[in-house]
Amino acid sequence: MKRSTTTSVRKSSVASLALAAATTMAMFGSGTASAAIASEAVSPLKDGRIGYVLTDRYWAVYETKDSKTECPQGMNDGPREQFKILFPDNGTKRTVLETQLKREGDQWHPSTSPEQFTFKEAKGDLSYGMNLDGKVGPNDFQTPDGQKGIDNQLYRVIGCIANYRSSGTIYHFENEFMRRYDNTRVVIELSGVDNLTNDNDVTVTTYRGLDPLVTDATGNSFIPGGTQRIDMRWGKDYIATLKGKIVDGVLTTEPIDRAEVPWGVTFNTSGYQVFRGMRFQLKLTPQGAEGVMAGYVDVDDFTHHLNTSWSTHHHSYGQLSSQSEYRAMRRLADGYPDPKTGANTAISSAVTVKFTQVYIERPNTEPKTIVSKN
Amino acid sequence: MRRLRSLAPVLLSATLCALAGASVQAATGEYWQSPTSTDKEDYVRAPMPPGFQVIATELEGPVFADAKGRTLYTWPLKNLRNGATGDRKKSGVSTCDDKVYQETSGYMSPYPPGLLLPELDKRPSCQQVWPPVVAAADAKPVGKKWTIIDRKDGTKQWAYDGLPLYISSMDHKPGDVLGGTRGVGRGGGSGVVRIPAGPTPDIPPELAMEPTVTGHMLVNHKGYSVYVSDKDAPGKSNCDAKCLTQWSPIIAPETAKEQGEWTVIERSPGVKQWAFRKQPLYTYIQDSRIHSLSGSDVPGWHNAYTQRALPPPKEFTVQDSRIGQVLADSHGKTIYIYSCTDDALDQLACDNPTTTQVYRMAICGNGDPKVCQETFPYVPAAADAKAESRFWTVMTIDPNTGHLATEGQPGAMHVWAYRDRPVYTYGPDRRPGDADGDAFGEFNGYRDGFKAFWLRDDFLDNASL
Repeated sequence: MKRSTTTSVRKSSVASLALAAATTMAMFGSGTASAAIASEAVSPLKDGRIGYVLTDRYWAVYETKDSKTECPQGMNDGPREQFKILFPDNGTKRTVLETQLKREGDQWHPSTSPEQFTFKEAKGDLSYGMNLDGKVGPNDFQTPDGQKGIDNQLYRVIGCIANYRSSGTIYHFENEFMRRYDNTRVVIELSGVDNLTNDNDVTVTTYRGLDPLVTDATGNSFIPGGTQRIDMRWGKDYIATLKGKIVDGVLTTEPIDRAEVPWGVTFNTSGYQVFRGMRFQLKLTPQGAEGVMAGYVDVDDFTHHLNTSWSTHHHSYGQLSSQSEYRAMRRLADGYPDPKTGANTAISSAVTVKFTQVYIERPNTEPKTIVSKN
Repeated sequence: MRRLRSLAPVLLSATLCALAGASVQAATGEYWQSPTSTDKEDYVRAPMPPGFQVIATELEGPVFADAKGRTLYTWPLKNLRNGATGDRKKSGVSTCDDKVYQETSGYMSPYPPGLLLPELDKRPSCQQVWPPVVAAADAKPVGKKWTIIDRKDGTKQWAYDGLPLYISSMDHKPGDVLGGTRGVGRGGGSGVVRIPAGPTPDIPPELAMEPTVTGHMLVNHKGYSVYVSDKDAPGKSNCDAKCLTQWSPIIAPETAKEQGEWTVIERSPGVKQWAFRKQPLYTYIQDSRIHSLSGSDVPGWHNAYTQRALPPPKEFTVQDSRIGQVLADSHGKTIYIYSCTDDALDQLACDNPTTTQVYRMAICGNGDPKVCQETFPYVPAAADAKAESRFWTVMTIDPNTGHLATEGQPGAMHVWAYRDRPVYTYGPDRRPGDADGDAFGEFNGYRDGFKAFWLRDDFLDNASL
């Protein structure tokens, strides 16, 4: 066993999203044999509590092998491609101000004004996620195993942006850096649990953990039984409490109005995502939890996170135009209307997640109060 | 665009952290050296060419200066995304000359080269901004580090440790180190910046000095923080068996020699421990990362520094944030620093009011100064306000242009500046400690953008390099 904070976690250790999702769905229907052995005597469930630490998270994107089903027009253009269209290399001398700085300004101050690029939304009605509004509507998806009413309009936006697909850099590096940096450590604790198989009233609390993930000797697989100290000093904004129930080994929580999830990457960034109506659906075992974290991501916050976490250079790796993505998100936003304008401020989304069991250690002192000179 | 934040009330504690009585300053709560402190980093004396000197500076410690007291800088080569620029060590060549660059280099991915730089009619050459330290025609190298190179124009230039030396057009008084710093804004995708040159710190080989945003931190040879204890007496450790389960004395070798502020105490027969300014030194067993301040959370223990910067404006505050603590204004709003280097081969700065403002205006307002003032407003100051630190000054700014205002100009603002660059808050930050404007701008805020003024970062390297 070793504790890893290095970059040694290989991409190959993470199943492709399609495979992971398929596995998740298969697990949902696979009975409860493993959970059934989770008796108090042998499981890490102690005093009705069990903790898990996040090891994998991917924006849920339905992918076919050649992408022609969901992206028949191909992938969207990114900053480099759009720059060449806007400013063709035809001998015209242009200024930094009218080109580079204009593009950067548009990125940092996005608008919904029309642009000359055609955005390629993901097609079809298959995707992953949860039914967030309790309805089955014409714009909803169904999962590959037939669950209807899936709300995941974010998939329409990002499904044909290479960066978010399983070969994309954001897909890879958001997980790479989540594993490397402790500031983005997400821990959940289930409490009030009588039984990991069926319990109609449990509480789920989210925290930021403080410790590296525990891997096996290869450094590529996460193993249960580690310890995570809870960050009660700097991480108070990441504490959220959700009520839920466990049915046949699957935890489903009620939504929480607003949750902030640490989502820093590299380059000294410490960003976070804002979810409205966030909820979990997780297949539980004593060793781990796997499934979906779903909710409505705030469009402004999602774009802010993208821009502050990844530079235009990084957007370019995966043909991700922040400006075009913002317009599409605004257009397809389907939740949390602005009370004044009526325009939706958030868009339905889903993140496929995988957790590994950990023991949670709380600080033995009261959280520090904010210190001010004055 | 606005960050949508809940407006939950936040209770601000008015708790003042007691200053440590020791000459080594506490890190928690107070990050700065007392104005009455005489602590200065010592350095290894070595022969210098005639006319040069070492000047003790507030944040950078001892730096080389010319006869007029002007700080000397180097410009080390650095790789950018699409190429490298700067001076190549020991190449004998200065790449900072009288050429006035007209176009971008294209090193700033993803943008192509050949874009016309802004305000070309006002653009200086590299050597106008960074005049070379000229050597006399008959000057001779001194030691192994002070050498002389030939410039393209036939003049000679001093070099130190294989890198040509320059002075900065931003420095005006002896002790100014406004042209560049080892402690701020050099991370991530920053441009190729100039850094002050200085002598080797006088530190035992078991230890090292780490530049941080508020001073020079002592660390061990692996980068782990070094601490002192209030319970120790001068030249005597009182760290007993229980204490030793948490704190490891920094062992001095049998051959260790006392020098200057460094002494050796004998813990037990044959076991020696380093002491600095008579205070025995330790590492903290529970530090899991380098450059940590966590040990200072333990009552009576403090990070050790060779010297620290002097305090910022009195009305400023320190606030808890998501990964540590930030410097904030009197309302608790996080302070931000703007950094900018352009994409010409000479990588001139564009981060102060004497330079073009088009880069900053693009980021903070898409070219609109009014949007800029909403997104990243200046931090107002009284016209006659003073700070203990020479780095904190009051500037008179025309907010519509971002340039210095003329005397009596209508609409001009008195604003706080750090190192002769205005500082800002972020409009959408709602609660004390919010730092949502961090990394706002090109390359995560390092290249043409805003970084929060992190004083403490328990996870990343925002408060050190």
